[in-house]
Amino acid sequence: MALIELDHIVKTYDLGLSKVPALRDIHFNIERGEFVAIVGQSGSGKSTLMNIVGCLDVPTSGTYRLDGRDVGTLSDDELADVRNLEIGFVFQSFQLLPRANALENVELPLIYRGVGAKERRERARAALDRVQLTDRWHHKPNELSGGQKQRVAIARALVTEPSLLLADEPTGNLDSATGEEIVRLFHNLHEAGNTIILVTHEPKLAARCPRAVRVVDGLVVADGPGREVALQNQHDLERAAAAAAAAHQSAAAQAGA
Amino acid sequence: MAAGSSPAALPTNGVSHPQAAPAPRSRPRKIGFFKGILRFFRELSEAIAQAVTSLVAHRLRAALTVVGISIGVGTVIGIDSMVAGFDESVSKQLSMLGPNTLYVSKFNWGVNNNNFFKFRNRPAVGKGDWKALQAGMTLAEAIAPMTGTQATVSYTGAERELKNVEIRGTVESFLDTGGWSIKRGRFLSAMDEELGSDACVIGQDIEDAFFKSVEVLGQTIRVGPSVRCTVIGTLMRKGNAFGRSQDGVVILPLSSFGRGFGSKRGVTIAVIAKEGHLGEAEEEVISVLRQYRRLSPDTEDNFSVNRQDRIRQGIDQTSMAMKLVMFLIGVITLVVGGIGIMNILLVSVKERTREIGVRRALGARKLTILFQFLAEAVAVSCVGGLIGTVLGVFVAWFVAQLTPMPAAVSAQVILLGAAFSVGTGLLFGLWPAWSAASLHPIEALRHE
Repeated sequence: MALIELDHIVKTYDLGLSKVPALRDIHFNIERGEFVAIVGQSGSGKSTLMNIVGCLDVPTSGTYRLDGRDVGTLSDDELADVRNLEIGFVFQSFQLLPRANALENVELPLIYRGVGAKERRERARAALDRVQLTDRWHHKPNELSGGQKQRVAIARALVTEPSLLLADEPTGNLDSATGEEIVRLFHNLHEAGNTIILVTHEPKLAARCPRAVRVVDGLVVADGPGREVALQNQHDLERAAAAAAAAHQSAAAQAGA
Repeated sequence: MAAGSSPAALPTNGVSHPQAAPAPRSRPRKIGFFKGILRFFRELSEAIAQAVTSLVAHRLRAALTVVGISIGVGTVIGIDSMVAGFDESVSKQLSMLGPNTLYVSKFNWGVNNNNFFKFRNRPAVGKGDWKALQAGMTLAEAIAPMTGTQATVSYTGAERELKNVEIRGTVESFLDTGGWSIKRGRFLSAMDEELGSDACVIGQDIEDAFFKSVEVLGQTIRVGPSVRCTVIGTLMRKGNAFGRSQDGVVILPLSSFGRGFGSKRGVTIAVIAKEGHLGEAEEEVISVLRQYRRLSPDTEDNFSVNRQDRIRQGIDQTSMAMKLVMFLIGVITLVVGGIGIMNILLVSVKERTREIGVRRALGARKLTILFQFLAEAVAVSCVGGLIGTVLGVFVAWFVAQLTPMPAAVSAQVILLGAAFSVGTGLLFGLWPAWSAASLHPIEALRHE
């Protein structure tokens, strides 16, 4: 049984006057222990897909089974529990609580699980160890560098030992060297057995993942080894650029004529 | 699997992966009942800790709101304490009036129905009325006229004099109206009254002051500027009432009192009714006096018959009215304070929208978020309530110091204040807290 089974997922946003399809027919599985990049331009529907996979949102139609359980039938509270127990989120903008120090930030999801203070502290420290931030636990987010903040966020995602680590543009707010550091951290976590989904718009990042899924206009257009999907993405982009240039030229020619 | 040029040709099902997936970990998928309760309390304590942190971070904002609640609770507690003190002192004074006694007087006692100008022009109650009652009443155990003033008392054998001593003018039946008894010697007699003799009876404080080492009976004391009288008896000690000794008293015959202090002073006639005949005795008093004063059937009484229970009623009504006003003031102030709470909470929710999104993403349920903000509201209102209680008690104490009115802070009103403040927090915190809890996690996370 796959960890994630997406079965003809459709998501439509109802804006009153018009209905905007964000996901049209998404259908793929992810096994335990996989490291998958979901790649796509902004507006492609990848964020919507991430929200559904992360149980922050439910599909309009189709079924999403996480670890065999149909998430679409769950109540708001049950979804909160699933997020707490099964999923670790890493956000582009870190989303740490500014008034809490690193350790308290990492402890947060354990509070919602009813773990006692002492155990919380031990587990949060262990999670900070795993991201090599052992000695920074007492720092507030504004005393940490971007890379360190993202590591705290990753520790917070890891502390619950989730089935799935869900990272949304985790390197988006970091310089390339720090971004590289974080990517390597994800690879290490993958090697340690974690299932990771990395949502990104950067083909380069997707290329380094064992598997990548490319989303365009709410549809999966490519699913395969990261390098190949990224390459295909590159071709598409070049083609699109060429088409745009041609259109521009012909428009210019027409204007000139 | 190759990435073809045609996207539609790509298979979209799951791929088998070379890396072996780790064995599925067994974990509880649902949070059990007892664990749920445990979690509830952990979240609650977390919510309280969060609330405190948040309030400390916005000290000024919180302090301003606290002031609003404090004033509300302080008003309730302060006014209630003053009303209770007033009530208590009136009750004590009333308890000195016999329950079975009618007091005939020019004025209507009590705090309401007191049209001073109407009563002022009535003829004074005097000796004639007393005589008429004595002659005409069948339902009275005892009838005693009394009047009083304050004066300085001195004794030639002692250097000091006693200021503000209570001087009473009355007759022999005074002892039958209750409360006092003779320790040594005798009380005033009918003859003393008839003759206007210079006899007097003194309380223990006077005896202690002047006659520690001298036989008291037969001594002459000076009362006020012009009266000299001979001590014929001493009264048993009565002790304190309202922090004041009741034993600093000199009792003169009514006629002698009139001679020394003027006979225009109002007299009150105490009529002790026969057991169980208070109502009938009252009617009898009225008919005897109307007859004596020759009032035609269509004129009003030109005297008042006061009864302890009627005065009690009047005062109870007054203090009820005061309490109602207090309640309304308190409620209005608390509503204003509550709107303050609502305001800071709405700002707080707005500022922390992203934080709410993060918490929801990490597994906080709606109720958890609700509790978090409610805890903040209740924390503000509780601090306000606490300060308000101290404030109210202090104001009541202060007023009690400045005025003769005592203050009585009751445990009930403090509980009421506590309930009011927690209630205000809950009531006015509910809407902002609910709006925080029902934020959609995705939109909250995206909020700038």
